[in-house]
Amino acid sequence: MKNLQLQVGLFLYFMMLSVLGNGQVTSTRKVQGKVVDQITSEPLPGTSVQLLGLNQGTITDADGYFLFNNIVTGQIKIQVRYMGYKTKTVDFDLFQNSSEIVIELEEDVLGLEEVVISGQGIDVEKRRLSTNVSSMSSEEIERVPSQRIDQLLQSAVPNLQIKMTGGQPGSTSLARARGIVSAFVNSTPIVYVDGVRIDNLNTAPELGLVTSGSRHQGAATSALADIPVENIEKIEFINGGAATTLYGSDAANGVIQIFTKKGGEGKAKVTFETQWGVEKANTDFYYFDRTDELFFESGLMQKHRMGINGGSENFGYSLSGSIFHTDGTRIHKQNENTRYDLRSSFRAELGKKATYHSSFGYTSNQFNRVRNGNAGGYTGLWFTEGGASLFTGPGFNNKIDELSQEEFDVMKAYVDKAEALQNFQTNVNRFQTSQSIILKPVKNLTIKALAGVDYRVQKETGITTNEYLNHTRAAKPGSETTTEGSISNYDRKFLGLTLELTGQYNLQVGDFSFLSTGGGQLFRNEDHQSAYIGTNLRDGAQTISGAANLTSDEYYSEVANYGLYFQESIGFKDRYFFEFGLRGDRNSAFGDNIGTQFFPKVGASYVLSDEAFFEGLKEAVSYVKVRANYGVAGNFPTPFAHQRTIAFAGFRNEQAATFGQAGNADLKPERVKTFEVGADLAFVRDRISLGVNYYQSNTVDALFVVPAAPSTGQNEQLRNIGKIENKGWEISTRIAVLQNKDWKVNVRAAVNTLKNKVTDAGGAAPFNINGFSPRTIQTVVEEGQPVGYLRGNKGTFSSEGVMTGTEAQANLGTTLPDLFGNLGVDIQFKRLSVFANADYQAGAYAHSFDRQFRFNYQVSNEGIPQAEIDANGRKNWLNFTDRFVEKTDFLKVRIIGANYTFPKTVLGNYFEQVNLGVSVTNPFNFTSSSFDPEVSQSGGSQGQNGASTGGIAYGVVSSPRQFIATLKVSF
Amino acid sequence: MKKYIYSIALAASLSGCSFLNPTEVTNPNVTDEVFVDNPNAAASWLNGMRRQLALTLNQTVVLGELTSDNYYNNRTQSSKVFDIPQIISTDVDVNTLQATVQKLREMGYFGIETVAPKDAATTDDMLAEMYFLRGIASMFCGEYFVGLPGSALSEIMHPEQHLHLAIADFEKAMSLSDDVSQKTACLLAMARSYYHMGDKTNAVKYAEDVLVADPMYIKEIGYDGVNGVSNSMQFFLFDSSNDEFAPLPRLDFLDPKYYSIGNPDQDQKPVALLKAEEAYFILAEAALADNQLEKAKTQLKNLLQEVIAQRPTASIDDSKETRSGGNRTDYPLTDDYWLKTNPDAPARTGFILDRQKGNVTIPVVSGTSVTAVEIDAATTVDELLETLYLMRQEVFLAEGRRVIDLGIKYPVSDIEYRNNSNVQAEHIRAQIPDFIPGNRELDDFTNDVENKQITLTIDMNKVLVENKTNPAVVPFF
Repeated sequence: MKNLQLQVGLFLYFMMLSVLGNGQVTSTRKVQGKVVDQITSEPLPGTSVQLLGLNQGTITDADGYFLFNNIVTGQIKIQVRYMGYKTKTVDFDLFQNSSEIVIELEEDVLGLEEVVISGQGIDVEKRRLSTNVSSMSSEEIERVPSQRIDQLLQSAVPNLQIKMTGGQPGSTSLARARGIVSAFVNSTPIVYVDGVRIDNLNTAPELGLVTSGSRHQGAATSALADIPVENIEKIEFINGGAATTLYGSDAANGVIQIFTKKGGEGKAKVTFETQWGVEKANTDFYYFDRTDELFFESGLMQKHRMGINGGSENFGYSLSGSIFHTDGTRIHKQNENTRYDLRSSFRAELGKKATYHSSFGYTSNQFNRVRNGNAGGYTGLWFTEGGASLFTGPGFNNKIDELSQEEFDVMKAYVDKAEALQNFQTNVNRFQTSQSIILKPVKNLTIKALAGVDYRVQKETGITTNEYLNHTRAAKPGSETTTEGSISNYDRKFLGLTLELTGQYNLQVGDFSFLSTGGGQLFRNEDHQSAYIGTNLRDGAQTISGAANLTSDEYYSEVANYGLYFQESIGFKDRYFFEFGLRGDRNSAFGDNIGTQFFPKVGASYVLSDEAFFEGLKEAVSYVKVRANYGVAGNFPTPFAHQRTIAFAGFRNEQAATFGQAGNADLKPERVKTFEVGADLAFVRDRISLGVNYYQSNTVDALFVVPAAPSTGQNEQLRNIGKIENKGWEISTRIAVLQNKDWKVNVRAAVNTLKNKVTDAGGAAPFNINGFSPRTIQTVVEEGQPVGYLRGNKGTFSSEGVMTGTEAQANLGTTLPDLFGNLGVDIQFKRLSVFANADYQAGAYAHSFDRQFRFNYQVSNEGIPQAEIDANGRKNWLNFTDRFVEKTDFLKVRIIGANYTFPKTVLGNYFEQVNLGVSVTNPFNFTSSSFDPEVSQSGGSQGQNGASTGGIAYGVVSSPRQFIATLKVSF
Repeated sequence: MKKYIYSIALAASLSGCSFLNPTEVTNPNVTDEVFVDNPNAAASWLNGMRRQLALTLNQTVVLGELTSDNYYNNRTQSSKVFDIPQIISTDVDVNTLQATVQKLREMGYFGIETVAPKDAATTDDMLAEMYFLRGIASMFCGEYFVGLPGSALSEIMHPEQHLHLAIADFEKAMSLSDDVSQKTACLLAMARSYYHMGDKTNAVKYAEDVLVADPMYIKEIGYDGVNGVSNSMQFFLFDSSNDEFAPLPRLDFLDPKYYSIGNPDQDQKPVALLKAEEAYFILAEAALADNQLEKAKTQLKNLLQEVIAQRPTASIDDSKETRSGGNRTDYPLTDDYWLKTNPDAPARTGFILDRQKGNVTIPVVSGTSVTAVEIDAATTVDELLETLYLMRQEVFLAEGRRVIDLGIKYPVSDIEYRNNSNVQAEHIRAQIPDFIPGNRELDDFTNDVENKQITLTIDMNKVLVENKTNPAVVPFF
């Protein structure tokens, strides 16, 4: 029966090819066949099929079919590779066998045979590596209805923790894998799209809007929010350390690589996808029930996407575009978000020895914001949750839930107008391209030349009208202002350029295999920001041209980094592997005394289970690989921070000079030296996999912004004086609980531990990376403490509950969890699949400024003893900040979803495939804290791209819940 | 194959200079060598020093007023603990204060020793102003701190040594300058420096010289809101859309000294650095120290009639001021309030303004509640000394001087301590005289709403006189 189906399928397929003009099916020397899953017999489209020794290859079409024409040899070897499956090599005798073949692939639960690129120059089998590479397939990516790369990766990569600092569109995230290696550079990994380094700024820029750009004002806008997520084939993530050594001075936080689809082979496959959903604010953590009613409403969300994928043996193309719109959850559509994504990629063979790959991506992202965090004046959540309604505007009873309906209606009308009159818009246009040529001039040698650009333009506009000011200040008739209206514009233009030339040579000598990689890479980033602000404007103005007063500012930064690298991977008997490599970098941000910086790596791995003596154990223990490595990666300093400069400003219509930077000719990258040992294990015929790693990374020459001794009159200066230690275990497992033709049930879990400590501050005084004045709350870097621990006043109380003293600037807890990880389950029953992802953390603390304000403004006692309030009222509110710090253990379910693939019998001939999916994002939170443990001020007090560990919740909304249905049709 | 590579290389080279010189970067900064070697550097640097003085005054005024009994921080911006007063060396405000004062001084050294000699366009008047501004920095070092390094990372110098440095700079400035106003400023600054050293003879000498030169003299420091150098005190008193700082109720009638009409950026009021009132106070205090009650009365009455009465006032719409910052909500708001300056004092009216009745008239340079009749009524040195210190408090309101009169001195910052081995443990402790109450009592009062009566918890002028022999306060006693 199966054969009959296959034959009918093949017949139809080749008929179709004939119709399309591609089918030279009459050749007698051809190889054709189909690649399917060993268990489910489902076809595997996009599988790489190579005829070994003939230097010919193709990929399977949408039905899993492949075809080679004009094969002259009788005996051939066909090698089939598909992501997530074990590579299979099949001997094929063209004269004896039928010219049609079905190749069944076994799922590669451990991903050992996966070919990865990140950190390896061109590509290499995971099996050879002494380091870990995590990857996410297009199937995993496409089922998560997120528009953001960081949200896609949230809870999907075993040791990468990603937390969204806020729920407004475009908010920054806190992404970190192996702790916090830097007290200066943000922990966000660098991001490459098709080999091109792109803007990954995940903090406020130097110049920005009050609702997004200022460091203490809540959610800043992240460049990760508009990385095109269309048409992704695969995402790889590698940890900072030996894995990222080849990226040199710029990779201590790890690397995320995004690879786009370059088209399949065969007829054009058209996919149309439509998503409809509802977004609801997550109000789980609000103190007042009525906060929800004041600010939020359900918003309609929709996304429509269309893609075309296809090609021929020599050419592949993939086009995709989408439109996304959500009303957002804020009243008056103040969090409305519209986004357009376009991606085109193609590959073309240039003769027999070269292939050209090209991808273009364009994203347009527009959204609205409202005042949040510490924006001051009327700021929504501070007004309600912080108790500031007591004195804001006309002043209200700030115990909002106790208001009578009439009183509440008055407040609601005030809030409604205050929200409606806000006008903060962000508009991002982003264009990316990657162009590469892969050349195979001689056998076993591959050369890749790549050039690419990322150009991102962000425009933020905030319009503050006199009407808004008069309303929120409750100005009395006759004393309304007409002169304080303002428009603030902030532009940020980022241009990134990447050039890379890499060669890889593969040599087999007896039992030895050599994989030699060498190359050079250059990237340069230009970051140009400008602010142009008009004040004293009439209401109704949309540009600053009519303003009575105009001010402007500019920020410019440019950096060029260029280096050469070499790596050798030596294999023996395909089970002993040894690798070493070196990158040398120069960088325009280094001080004048600093020349080339070298980053070495060395590693070894051993596939124990491939030894003959292991055969008897294979039923129980199917795979054992042990590995160890050591590598150095870096973070380069801020461009031009090494120079001694004079700064200028205008003052009373004349030029005014002053000290600029103190200068540091010895400024160099911080270096993270990571040692790692680990093992990859599989049991019960790969049904249980277990990965165990232990790492210790020591950052030396850590970059600290050191405040100058005030007697020098100089400003703070960046210096390489610190040492930071991170160490921990990374354990991940995947268990195939059930695996048969109808059922597939997989569960996965990752557990990571982390110990982080600043082991040496080089004599620098403690400094703040996210927070306010030392008398309130800060997250601080200090010798002997974890990076970004909470520091504030700690109160002591008598037995009666009256405050007896306060310890200034006490340690109130770490913001870094000592335990974190994620959990996932995938259940597939025939055509129905159900999945869920969650992540968790334990051991970290955060501060709620909302609670502290509620205490101060007498909304509630917040657990402070009545005796203290009776004795001192609220005046000690800042003397026991520790009472507003809570443990932030949490388990958050990020997504629960289900997909159903309709059988072809239902679809007839019109549709290739029809999928129906439903999902809920952020459905459940289980937290130890009374506030959302994830939201935080964005941080980056040390400047753009500065380190942050979160930990300060202050008037920031949580990520919304989304209820989404998706229909995907291919034809 | 080659033609593809050539084509790509050609396209790349035509597409922008980034491709042609990919390792070249544009430096947006001006290095100090480039600056000093270019013409007219001294003028640019001198204006930078003026700007720095405006920034320095922002810190001394705002932080000084909060630390003293003059103003209470009724909201969340600026220091939340100097009101207590709690002053510790690790506090960022302590570091900011030291840094801003010493930056002005270091800019003075760089200007005088490096910039001016290389710039042919430097005039004596420009050099004189650099010396004067450096002298002001040293004067602040002596007035506000328990001790500070005399130069970058050097040994800690006693306040008196800083004042001597200041005087040397003022003398040098006088010798270089032809400008009468600049010379008078130097005279007044020297009188003030000697006053704080307790050197009655010299203080009196220079104070008399000032009154000869210009009995209405005032040296004001201007601001520039458009270029980001706003008068911080003006923001906290008037421009902020919230009610930030609240004055001690007895000073309510003098608030706000700084205000704006229209766009605040365009209307930033100056802060008085030196004014002739100082000379009258010095002469009066010296007379009291010599037990010459009548002479002191004459000085103070002259001050009232010849100076304060002549200083400008402004009619201000301050109706948005409702003292509703949030930390205290019991500030009096109507002019029918009675006020006791301490629990044992008689209740008097006239201190509280009703800002909702219409514009209020505020002295924008100097104002006082003291009358000639009250001065004449004093029968003892102590009575008049108390009146003198009340007048100092009122006249110098929102100028950052009261904290010095209270004998409070800020410590060396923790960051200096960690970087400078010359700093000893004794230098990182603030000087807060024993008679200064804690627990925010300096700003405290009770409000008897029913009887419309405010009672201040403590009258610090009375306390100062009671402690006049304490070396930290009342220099001539």
